[in-house]
Amino acid sequence: MAKKRREQEETKAELNMSSMMDACFLLIIFFVVNASQITVAKDPCVKMPNAVTCSEMKDANGCVVVNVFPDAEKMDARTASKFGEMYRPGVVWSVSDGAKTIGYSAEQTQDLTDFITKQVEMWKAKNLDPAQIRLYVRGDKDAPWERSATAIRCAAAAGLSNIVFGTLPAKG
Amino acid sequence: MARRKQRAVEEEGDPEMNMSSMMDACFLLLIYFIVATSLVSEKRLSVSLPGSSSGSGTPPPLEPGRIKVEASGAIYWNGEMPMGGAMNPTLDPRTPEYREERELRELVEALKNLAEAAKAADTNPIVMVEGAAATPHQRIVDVMAALSEAGINTVGLNTAAQE
Repeated sequence: MAKKRREQEETKAELNMSSMMDACFLLIIFFVVNASQITVAKDPCVKMPNAVTCSEMKDANGCVVVNVFPDAEKMDARTASKFGEMYRPGVVWSVSDGAKTIGYSAEQTQDLTDFITKQVEMWKAKNLDPAQIRLYVRGDKDAPWERSATAIRCAAAAGLSNIVFGTLPAKG
Repeated sequence: MARRKQRAVEEEGDPEMNMSSMMDACFLLLIYFIVATSLVSEKRLSVSLPGSSSGSGTPPPLEPGRIKVEASGAIYWNGEMPMGGAMNPTLDPRTPEYREERELRELVEALKNLAEAAKAADTNPIVMVEGAAATPHQRIVDVMAALSEAGINTVGLNTAAQE
């Protein structure tokens, strides 16, 4: 009887999970810290350009993000269908105020300027150093320069002179 | 009888927590952050528009450098000096040829010379970039990367009149 019980106890193997949990938490903390470096709004319809020399984005505070789109025929089929679901035809810029995403057509430069002005005022109200407020141009690699330049002109009209171009590091 | 009672007390005094659900949650979080971190790999190229920092209307002591970018992607420095050819849109971004197209070594050298001349004249180097309206954004970013490599961050951006 006693022998049988001993056999049952021996077959009940247990694994000590505590060290694994420690390692797991350390990894989570590492990735949380890394992931919180940039929290700018990203538009999946923008294919980012590559740059050989670019630096890390340390802080997303003060960034007024403007996405710049190419013509629909320059997009691949998947991106074009996603773009069609998200925006009306003719949209060349998109912005996000945190709650919703707004698309602007090439004629709506005044609306874009007004939006950037509001964002600048919002960051200033948060007591952010004006030098830290910047326009973050997330231009598609195939977008015509005219659109990015117009967005920069709108930002300049709103009092923004610091421009940041979003890029990805070049491979190869 | 007494021994059985003692064993029961020992078993009650050794509580065990079921860690399996916590481990599940932990792994889910871990996978989420691994994926999120690999997606967040955007970098930046910063520039300042000229005339924004100093309000004086005096002209700069050094003539600004001028970069002209055509719609094809061809780049010219100070007029007609070619610094980069037309872009090849069929290049695979993973190939060394693509990276070579992104690196504008001659332009970086010219910009470094301008930066040194500006340093000697104790002033900030200014560069005006004039891109054709239809130039792909990628080519302007190539120029910005060259400016960044040369340490120039005061850049005037303009769009060329339609040809």
